Amino acid sequence: MHADLVAIGAVVLAAGLLARAGRRIGLPSIPCYLVVGILLGPGTPGPVLIEDPAELSVLAALGLVLLLFHLGVEFPVEQVLGSGRRLFLAAGCYIGLNVTAGLLLGFALGWGTAEALVIAGGLGISSSAIATKLLIELHRLTNAETPVVLGIIVIEDLFLAFYLALLAPVLSDATSPLGFVRDVAISFGFLVLLFAVARYGARAVGALVGSREDELLAVLVVGLVLLVAGLSEQVRVSDAIGALLIGLVISRTRVRERVERLVLPLRDVFAAVFFVTFGLSIDLGALETVALPAAVAVLATLTCNLAAGVVTARLFGLNQRAAANIGLTVLGRGEFSLILVTLAIGAGLDGRIGPFIALYVLGLAVLAPLLAAKSRYLARFIPDGLLRSRWRYVREETISTACTHLDQISVTGTDLRECPQCVAEGHGWVQLRLCLTCGAVGCCDDSVGKHASAHFTRTRHPIVESLEPGEDWRYCYLDRALVRPPLGREPDATPR
Amino acid sequence: MGHGVQVQDLPGIGKRYDLDLGQRAGRISVVVRNDGNRDLYVFTGQSGDPTAVVELTEEQARKLGALLGGTFFEG
Repeated sequence: MHADLVAIGAVVLAAGLLARAGRRIGLPSIPCYLVVGILLGPGTPGPVLIEDPAELSVLAALGLVLLLFHLGVEFPVEQVLGSGRRLFLAAGCYIGLNVTAGLLLGFALGWGTAEALVIAGGLGISSSAIATKLLIELHRLTNAETPVVLGIIVIEDLFLAFYLALLAPVLSDATSPLGFVRDVAISFGFLVLLFAVARYGARAVGALVGSREDELLAVLVVGLVLLVAGLSEQVRVSDAIGALLIGLVISRTRVRERVERLVLPLRDVFAAVFFVTFGLSIDLGALETVALPAAVAVLATLTCNLAAGVVTARLFGLNQRAAANIGLTVLGRGEFSLILVTLAIGAGLDGRIGPFIALYVLGLAVLAPLLAAKSRYLARFIPDGLLRSRWRYVREETISTACTHLDQISVTGTDLRECPQCVAEGHGWVQLRLCLTCGAVGCCDDSVGKHASAHFTRTRHPIVESLEPGEDWRYCYLDRALVRPPLGREPDATPR
Repeated sequence: MGHGVQVQDLPGIGKRYDLDLGQRAGRISVVVRNDGNRDLYVFTGQSGDPTAVVELTEEQARKLGALLGGTFFEG
């Protein structure tokens, strides 16, 4: 490494300042870091702070390794395994659609099979960092679809681990089919070994690095991570996988939380260097030649995401607004796409992937926050027929799981298909609502009688369900919101 | 958790606690993020969208907690 401290400091400071300015207009950090790299690098006119991106290669590699290590450490294994079939279906659909689109586009570009596989991964895996930041900034942490979105992200991370393992042999220089098979075997064997360590040896690893002092814990963990990542690269499994899996091992030790906290700032700094370094390697002229494919890729991802959002909403019985929120929140691409491409370029694949993915990530990182904030407008255009239940009156409403009156549900169905009070008074009604506390049936607020609301006013029973065929939404009069139990708790399993 | 408080895991972010304030007053959700920051969501029952959202650092959250707990009466 020959770059002097002045240049590195100036570049990192510029990256931080631009990201800070970007935050004011709701931009994520990753595109800002990339732009600084592109602008201050050798590939563009204007000031060149760092002549050769390779000068930063060690620091950037540290960023890549720490990004994946931290992902492994905070990976919620138990939650994923217990998350149920629906979530796996939803995530499978999301990943399947996007990876297929990426693969088709990759082959259509004609840069090669290995390149197509890298593009498939780059387009298929969304940025956890951008999605979680969006959920926090758009104040959506109490929405019903948010645990679903987070679940999809976590399963995507799991997919990434397997995809990296699959790519490792593709990216190695095996020429014969036999060599290829051998590389696949080594790569998966290494995975199995590290999984076994995570399962049975976590205690020993924890005892080895688990110092009571933060200083020593940080030093020991970073040393261990770099060693395992380096060794993985030596056996031709990428350093990325090694880092991810040693993270999984650490996540099963008792020092997990401290390591997470200690490594976070290190990860953020070196990841920024990684993104800037990636930007430095991008030539402005090369960006123009890949502009069209990148634009097509952005459109393909947008389409796949919306389709997956609708499928997910259908699976979980959510409305149009939730479908739009799901599709648009996981739209951002970032760290994982860039990691895959870095590995690909390191393995000597077609250099055009670099600028292509850079432009694609920039496009989506800017689009995702803009579109996600406006999901309400998109919700208007999603037809009822695509979702499982009909949401005629409540298409654009946020569904909340933060309703604390769900414990007052003790009735979940009725055979009654008339409003008894309307029948007694001798007039008709528009729609029927079922009181979920006592089972009383009343007519909706568009009816003459408004007997459901009257029932609430009299009894204070908070939650009603629509009795219309094909509808099953629940509304809480006290919270004035559509409500549903949190993910994983089925309506029928509600206590009492 | 105590009566009237519900807990929801938010993988990758942290944990959310929903607190019922009774019929008229609305409800509050507190998100304790893994990075220590807290988000305070306040609902007053106009819709499913929060009326106000306040982001607190760990330090600010501790101060507010002390104030709410009645143990902070400096000066």
